[in-house]
Formats: sequence, structure tokens, C-alpha cells
Amino acid sequence: MKSKADVVIIGGGVNGCSLAYRLAKKGLDVVVVEKKYLSSGATGACGAGIRQQWSTRENTQLAIQSVKIFEQLSSELGQDIEFRQGGYLIAVHDEKEMKQSEKNVAMQRSLGLKVDILKPEEITGVVPILDVKGMRAIGATFCPTDGHANPFRTTFAYADAARKHGAEINTHTTVIDVKTAKKAIHAVVTDQGTIQTNVVVNVAGIDSKTIAEMVKVKLPLTPFRKEILATERLQPLFEAMVISFKDGIYFSQQKEGQIVGGIPIPEEKGGYKTMPTLAFLSHMAQTLTRYAPVLKHVNVLRHWTGFYDMTPDARPILGEVKGVKGFIQCSGFSGHGFMISPMVSFLLTELIAEQKTSEVLESLSLERFKGKNIEKELSVVG
Amino acid sequence: MRIRAHPIIDFKKRAELPFYFQKKKLVGEDGDTIASALHATGVRTLTTSLKYESPRGFFCGIGKCSSCLMRVNGVPNVRTCIAPLKEGILVEMQEKLAELPDAEFFGEPKKTIDVDVLIVGAGPAGLCAAIESATQGASVLIVDENQCVGGQLVKQTHKFFGSKQEHAGTRGIDIAKELENDLRRLECEGKIQVMTDATVIGCYENDKKHRFGVVERHEYKSRLYDVRCDAVILACGAMENMLLFPGNDLPGVYGAGAVQTLMNVYGVKPGERVLMVGAGNVGLIVSYQLLQAGIAVDRVVEAAPFIGGYNVHAAKLRRCGVLIQTSHSIKEVCGEKKVEGAVVVRLDENWKPIKDSEEYIKCDTICLAVGLTPSTRLLSQIGVNLEFIPEAGGYVAPHDGAMQTSVKGVYVAGDASGIEEASTAMIEGKIAGLASAILLGRSKNKKLLAQYREELAQLRAGPFGEKPRIAKEKIAKLAEAHHA
Ligand SMILES: Cc1cc2nc3c(=O)[nH]c(=O)nc-3n(C[C@H](O)[C@H](O)[C@H](O)COP(=O)(O)OP(=O)(O)OC[C@H]3O[C@@H](n4cnc5c(N)ncnc54)[C@H](O)[C@@H]3O)c2cc1C
Ligand SMILES: Cc1cc2nc3c(=O)[nH]c(=O)nc-3n(C[C@H](O)[C@H](O)[C@H](O)COP(=O)(O)OP(=O)(O)OC[C@H]3O[C@@H](n4cnc5c(N)ncnc54)[C@H](O)[C@@H]3O)c2cc1C
Ligand code: FES
Repeated sequence: MKSKADVVIIGGGVNGCSLAYRLAKKGLDVVVVEKKYLSSGATGACGAGIRQQWSTRENTQLAIQSVKIFEQLSSELGQDIEFRQGGYLIAVHDEKEMKQSEKNVAMQRSLGLKVDILKPEEITGVVPILDVKGMRAIGATFCPTDGHANPFRTTFAYADAARKHGAEINTHTTVIDVKTAKKAIHAVVTDQGTIQTNVVVNVAGIDSKTIAEMVKVKLPLTPFRKEILATERLQPLFEAMVISFKDGIYFSQQKEGQIVGGIPIPEEKGGYKTMPTLAFLSHMAQTLTRYAPVLKHVNVLRHWTGFYDMTPDARPILGEVKGVKGFIQCSGFSGHGFMISPMVSFLLTELIAEQKTSEVLESLSLERFKGKNIEKELSVVG
Repeated sequence: MRIRAHPIIDFKKRAELPFYFQKKKLVGEDGDTIASALHATGVRTLTTSLKYESPRGFFCGIGKCSSCLMRVNGVPNVRTCIAPLKEGILVEMQEKLAELPDAEFFGEPKKTIDVDVLIVGAGPAGLCAAIESATQGASVLIVDENQCVGGQLVKQTHKFFGSKQEHAGTRGIDIAKELENDLRRLECEGKIQVMTDATVIGCYENDKKHRFGVVERHEYKSRLYDVRCDAVILACGAMENMLLFPGNDLPGVYGAGAVQTLMNVYGVKPGERVLMVGAGNVGLIVSYQLLQAGIAVDRVVEAAPFIGGYNVHAAKLRRCGVLIQTSHSIKEVCGEKKVEGAVVVRLDENWKPIKDSEEYIKCDTICLAVGLTPSTRLLSQIGVNLEFIPEAGGYVAPHDGAMQTSVKGVYVAGDASGIEEASTAMIEGKIAGLASAILLGRSKNKKLLAQYREELAQLRAGPFGEKPRIAKEKIAKLAEAHHA
């Protein structure tokens, strides 16, 4: 392992690896430190849906720009990341939700996004296996350019490309301390040795809270266990991701044929819990077959858990932390850190390599929690 | 392809069960699985692979490899090697990925079961654990994926070695019957609940007790059970190993367990001429059983320079004129859509093929007897400490003398705790069953526990107990280190 670097990235998930790629491409000397294997955190557990239909302007913008990057990412990285645009169908269940949806769609359209509001009878035109009555929908919104990618392939492709540009990626290496001198980053201590550096990026997912504490920074992060399952493989049935904010369910069919999806269990509270629950299995099976009764005979093959790193407003914490020069924050993705990873790494690369900041970064800084008027992202599922 | 005359098993013709395969009417027999019935009529290709569309037959025959998935009565992805044959069912091959089911769904509401001890697997280890634990006063639930209890024992027609207590001189199939009788007696007394055709699917979050999900399938209906227990004994057995060579996925390349199941449980010939790969005890015994069933064994090839199994078994085969070639292995299988022959090759001292030593042999079945790997998936999901121990067959859970793993109340027994044999599996089962009863305060009989452990040590004392002895010593050391 190198003993000196321009930038040390803590965490080998999709965000750590994409950032390593972009920074290395700019010619910086980058070292990634990952305590297990690449994509062993939330990235490897996630649904990897890519959605542009958000309630806040920043998230919508970040997602739209990210999709532009995703569209050409396979060719840019030289590996197929299995990006597919089957759209997202968001179920709307009552008048109140419809009002919010109309507001969201107006904002999304103003940013140039093509989004449709569907009547109940139009829903099965998009996803034939749905039972509109069973899902209790009075309509839906649909954006055809939303989609999905393979989270493992994406992360590995970023990592390979980063290595080609000279980045060093160390797996099975744990960061145990981050040293500061005169309120600035000085070194990163790992169980395999120390790396001198002036810039550290904290992309450690749910563990980013512990990393921040090493430089006496407190992050308002709460871990939420999220459960997700995959069924046996079936012939292609539908292409869109189906979600509902009210029921909390999301599911889609993957390229290989399995249906992957999740739902929060009703009584779930935050905390570092990792065991799967039977309550999830029942609740998910019941809700999924209410939405798509034809799936009743389909077996569940796997069921696993991962964490959402939730912030109070469900938006990420990005950028340099005031008071600790060189400590760059990149976590708190609150369940949607895969889909915006292209833009997150783009913006942070501008910040680190060119000291360029942006309006979006400003609005997503840790500082915002000191203010009173934080705008909460409403369109969160799972 | 039915075996009618057999020196040990009475394969009387059973009641006929008509069924449909690809819309054609075929006839199976009562007690068949779908795959055994198909095999008996000469159908060896059950499905095609998803990626290359190559024909696939079954491989493990015990529900562990998913190479036998078919559509049955409109339900896709049924494991036909363990699904019972029923009169009039419609069996279809799947076109690559399964189409949606078009059958009516008979789901039953979830049920909760509270017991002292849950036992996963009803092979020799699980059966002995259940009987011991219940006899000591614990309430027991035993679950097995198969239609019948007995695990691998139900196909072992040969007489066992070992000690009198562990049924030496008795055939495996008869031991299975004895154990089942004991089990059913305790079931009648209300001390044991037995669930067959049911799978323990996973361990789930709970506060105090251990909690498992069990899915029971009956006549294509299914029910989810929420099982809470204070102790669990994982006696899930092992999975057969695969070898890499061209053509290893052709219908007709079978695991030894599958071959044994077909001929000794269902009375169906796996083929007419077999090449046996592996001369450990399993390879030797199954070869002999093939001869007993009237099937030709071309030869036995063994990659090692010596025969791994007992001499008695090897000598019996030789007397029947079967060639055993050490330092030989299979190079490739010949045939387009099914096994038509194979090329065997001689190996040098570094186990590398020797040039120009290839020999073509004609056969329609390849039987792989190249070892087993412990089933540890449930253990790993529970979070039990696992270590790689080659002598035990792969990853195993370090456990103490009472078979308890690194997690309190979680026990292992039999092949799942390290590959050995049925006799030791039975004692390990008794130890785990008794120890769990002691842990729960249902028994105080520590003297009996010591006696069982002594019996286990004696069984391993012989020269052939060397490998398991080394494995178990390593396991004990790791468990101690973990405790300290
Ligand atoms: C069930 C589920 C479904 C989801 N579905 C979606 C979805 O559909 N769309 C979407 O956009 N997002 C989704 N998400 C969220 C998404 O997975 C995450 O936001 C995203 O993967 C975060 O990536 P990351 O690289 O920031 O963090 P992670 O992938 O969590 O990576 C952090 C890495 O840091 C490492 N690390 C931690 N501590 C240390 C240390 N001390 N030293 C070294 N390394 C360390 C960890 O091992 C880990 O690999 C989902 C999440 C879950 C759990
Ligand atoms: C071909 C062959 C020949 C052999 N010959 C001999 C011999 O001659 N002499 C000898 O002593 N030994 C022999 N053995 C070894 C001996 O059979 C095994 O060591 C012994 O059967 C192990 O017993 P067990 O109870 O651990 O596992 P098994 O007998 O394999 O039983 C495990 C059971 O658990 C069930 N199960 C697993 N997971 C689940 C789950 N999640 N839910 C529900 N059920 C589950 C399985 O379906 C199975 O029925 C042979 C083995 C094979 C394969
Ligand atoms: S699962 Fe049926 S042959 Fe292996």
C-alpha cells in the first residue's frame, strides 16, 4: 500500500469507486481503502433503481444529469453495466397524493423531464401483470427514461477504470483513525499501515458516522435496516420499476428474470440490526401479490438486509466539512445513493481537483442542519 | 428401465400411476418421484440450460442442485427429483426461463410453532438427535425436505461396519426403518412433530428464542411456519462435489447419491453401462450395488495413486471382474445430447494427464463419487463461526464436545459438521440431542453424554478414522480458541 497520496477515499461502494475513477482521470494520486470487498456495503445490497421523479429540485436535477451519464457509462468505462431504461411507474392512491404528484410532475417537466400522469386504465398498458384494483390506485406517474443498472458491475467497472488511471484500490483494509494537524487532514491510519494525505473523502456508507467522529465531526445519520428479496427467474414480464410511496413497496424484474423488491416492515425502528425478519417476508409477499396476483406461485429464492444511511431531510451530506480542512463528506444517501452516484462524483471531483463549488453542493453541506428551513425529500421508498 | 430382480430389495411392481409428459401419456409407479418415473420410461433430459440451451438431466437426485426443474400442473421450477409423482399430473419441459404459473394457488395462513428443539434434516444424524432429545423430555420438531425420513440411509443396501451399538452388520435401509419406527412411536406419544416435504428456509430475527421459517408443501399447496425454539440442531447433511471436464453437464452424468437413489429407492436403472469416477468407499459401494442391480460397470477410475476406500469393498468388485484404475481420471464425456462414451486418461505423479494415454470407453452413464461438501448455508446465515478444514470437506462450524457451535443453542451433527459416515453421524446426533436437552434443563444425564463421546472416539479409533480424527481435532482446537 502507498504511504502517500493526494486523496484517500474511505469506502469501496459505488460512490467511492466512481469518485476514485474521476479523480484519477484528472491525474490525482488516489488511494481507496475498503474494509471488506468492493460493493460489500449498501451498494451490494441495493435495488439499483435509477429514478428522476423526485419532489425536491436538487434531487431531480442530480438524477436527470446522472441518467445522462449512465446512458453512456458502459462505453465510457469499457464494460457493460447493464443499464436499462424501462421507466418508473409510481402508483398514486388518493387525491392528496395526486395533488403532490401533479406538483412534482410540473417541477420535473420544468427541468425538461418527460413524465406522464396515467389514468388507472392506462397502468396495465405499462406493467401488464398489475392489478389496479388490488393496488388501490387512482392513477400513476410514469417516466420512461428512469431505469436500472447492475450495482456490482457498475462498481467493478468504475474500479477497473480507476486502476487503469493509476488509482490504488486496497480491499480488506480497514481505516482505524484519521489524523489532523492544525485543523486540517494529515494522515489516514489503516490496519495495513498509514497513508499521508491532505484530503480524505468519507464515503463509508453507514460507517461514515464513525469515520467522522475520528475528526470530531458529528453526522446526523441514523442506520435503518432495509430488507429486500429476489424471486426465482421467470420469462420477461415487465420492464418498469413499480413503486408506491404510500405502501413503501418497490419491485422490478431484472435482466436475468428474477423479481427484486422491498418494503419497510410496519413497526421498524432505526438501529444496527442485520438479521432478516419473517415480518418482512410476509408483508412483502402479501403486498406484492396484492399488486400482481399472478406472482402467487413464484418462489422467493433469497432475502437479505442492507442499511439506508438516513439524514433528517433524506438528502445526502456532501462537500468539505467546515473546520476540518480536507475532510470531504459523501454519505447520508438515505436510500438513493446509487442513482445519483454519477453526479455526486462529478461534483466532488470539481471540488477536489479544481476547488470549484456549486449551488447544489452548498445546499447539501453539513452546515444546512444548523438552519431552520430544511426542505425534506418526500419521495422516498423502501 | 425398472429393476425387478434384486438380491436384497424386493422391487415388486407397485400400483401404476398414469401421468402426462409433454402431453404424452406415460405410466409411473406409486412411490416414484417425477424424475424417477420419467427415467424409468427412458426420459433422461428434463430441461435445458438457460445460457447455452444445452440438455440437462438431473445430477444430485436429492433436491440440492436445481438441474431438474420442470413445470408441473402449471407450476414452474418444480424440483422433480424430490417431487412425488401423482396420478394424472401434467409434466412439461420449460422453455428456458419459466413462464408464469397458471395454476390456482392454495396458500394456507401462516402458523406458529413453539418447541424446545428444532432439528433440521432427518438423516441418521437428525433422526438420532430427535429420538434422543425427545426421550430425554424435550419437545421436538424435525423437518426434512424429502417425502420420507432417513436421509442417505434409505439407499444404503450394504451392511454397516463399526460397533454393535451403531447397528454394525445391519443394512442402512434397515437402520433407517428402525429409526423411523422409534420416531413414529415418539410421534404417536406426542413428543415429536415430524414434517416431511418441508424446507427450513432461514433463520430470522427474534428476541430470546431462535426463530426459523419453514415452508411445507403438500400436494402443491404450501404453508409457512414461524418456528420458535430454544435450541436447534443442524443435521442438514452434505452436497455432492462436481468435477470439471468437457461434457460434465450432459444428461447421464450423475452424482453417486443420485445413482444410488434411483436404483435402491425407486428401483430404476440409472443406465446400462457405467463409468465410476472415484474409488473412495462411496464409489466402491455404489459400483457393487450397480452390479447387484444388473447394471454393467465398465471400470472405476481414481485420480490418486491408491484406493481410498476399504479393501473389502475393492476386493468384492475385483472378484466380479471390475477393473479399478488408480492414477486415472476422466478427461471428457462424448455425446451430443446425452452420454455416449467417455475418454479416460492416465495421470502422472503430479496428477497431470500423460500424453497419448487416452482410452475411449463406451458407456451411457458417468457416476461421480468424488466427495461431499458439508451443507453449511443455514449455519452461515445464523452467523455461526465457520472455518475451512479440508479434511472435513470444506467450511465447517467449530463445535465443542457437545456439538454446540459458537452460537449458544445452535448444534451441528452428521455430515453438516464435517464429512464422515452414517455411524458417527448417529452418535453425533445422539450427543447433540442429549446436550440440547441438558442445556434446556430437560435432562441431567451427563454420564450418558460421556458414554456417547467415548463411543464416538472408539468408532474413529481405526485406521480409516484417521482423516475424520484429524478434522475433528482441528475443529475442537478452533472451538477452544474461540471460547478462550
Ligand atoms: C435494500 C436497499 C435498496 C436500495 N435501493 C436503491 C435503489 O433502488 N436506488 C438507489 O439509488 N439506491 C438504493 N439504495 C441505496 C444505495 O444502495 C446506497 O445509497 C449506495 O449504494 C451508497 O453507496 P456508497 O458507496 O455511498 O456506500 P456503501 O456501498 O455503503 O459503501 C461504503 C463502504 O465503506 C466501507 N467501509 C466502512 N467503514 C470502513 C472503514 N472503517 N474502513 C474502510 N472501509 C470502510 C464499507 O465496507 C462499504 O463497502 C438501496 C439501499 C438498500 C439497503
Ligand atoms: C452415495 C453415498 C454412499 C454412502 N455410503 C456410506 C456407507 O456405506 N457407510 C456409511 O457409514 N456412510 C455412507 N455414506 C455417508 C453417510 O450416508 C452419511 O455420512 C450420512 O448419511 C450422514 O448423515 P446426516 O444425517 O448427516 O445427513 P443426510 O443423511 O444427508 O441427511 C440430511 C437430511 O437433511 C435434509 N435437509 C437439509 N437441509 C434441509 C433444510 N433446510 N430443510 C429441511 N431438510 C433439510 C436433507 O434433505 C437430508 O434428508 C454414504 C454417502 C453417500 C452420499
Ligand atoms: S435438485 Fe433435482 S437433481 Fe439436483
